[in-house]
Amino acid sequence: MIDDLQLARAVREAALATTGVHSMGTGRYAEAATYGAGEKVTGVVVDPDEVRVHIVARYPLAEPLPALAERVRERVASRAEGRPAMVVVEDLEVEQNENL
Amino acid sequence: MRIFNRIIVVLLLAALVALGIATVFYAFDLAGYRLANLPNALGLTGVVQSFSSFVGNVESGNLNPLDYVVLGAIALLGLILLILELKPPSPRRVRMQEGTYITRSAVRDEVSTATENNPEVLQSDVDVAAQRRPGAKVDVTASVRRGEDTSRLQSEVRNSVQEHLGRVGVPVSNLNVRIAESDPRQTKTRVK
Repeated sequence: MIDDLQLARAVREAALATTGVHSMGTGRYAEAATYGAGEKVTGVVVDPDEVRVHIVARYPLAEPLPALAERVRERVASRAEGRPAMVVVEDLEVEQNENL
Repeated sequence: MRIFNRIIVVLLLAALVALGIATVFYAFDLAGYRLANLPNALGLTGVVQSFSSFVGNVESGNLNPLDYVVLGAIALLGLILLILELKPPSPRRVRMQEGTYITRSAVRDEVSTATENNPEVLQSDVDVAAQRRPGAKVDVTASVRRGEDTSRLQSEVRNSVQEHLGRVGVPVSNLNVRIAESDPRQTKTRVK
């Protein structure tokens, strides 16, 4: 049984390792993070009954957003200790070499 | 609306606490406070008299039409507040699939980009609402110069938004496009 902070770190790592994810989101009105002693993991909110992952997608997209979010959800679910995973796409970040 | 209800309840509870403390003093004649003097102390003698006659009329069933209207309005207000409180709040994020969401601001940015790609659009105002079912409700107002062909532009903007959101994969359940003729001096972009 791992603690919330360890779980958040593992989930964050899995999300960032997914192709198409630019970075973790930080939340809009309230910070999306998991807090521990002297540390916080931004972009992952670990609740007793759910794990919520906030991502920023890389643009241009290699696949539609629902497919990317679903892939992230699948990857994250395996590290979520049986809790349902929810993925929130917060933004799209345009690559620097893209002239959009 | 929940915040509004909460404010009302907080004010109501604060008033009840104050009234409760005052009632203890007046009910037990503490520190020279007597219940019979309360209306005078508050300067509400007239109000108390009219209220007591109103309650007397209610008890005896002897009401005038204005009383019926007031009581009906109070009951209606209570019913409306109850319904608004029981109504589930609208979701904050746009649902894409089971367990996957996109923020309204991200959808707004994408719609804005697609709309302003049209060279005749000087500015766009986008409103995105999330729904319980998958897909966003999007209202776009595109500002163009006076004299432009608005029906053609409306169709072009609609197509470009649908195409762009389709490419990105953001589900839209309802898209409303409005073309507004504006003075270029008052829009974000004057010339494209």
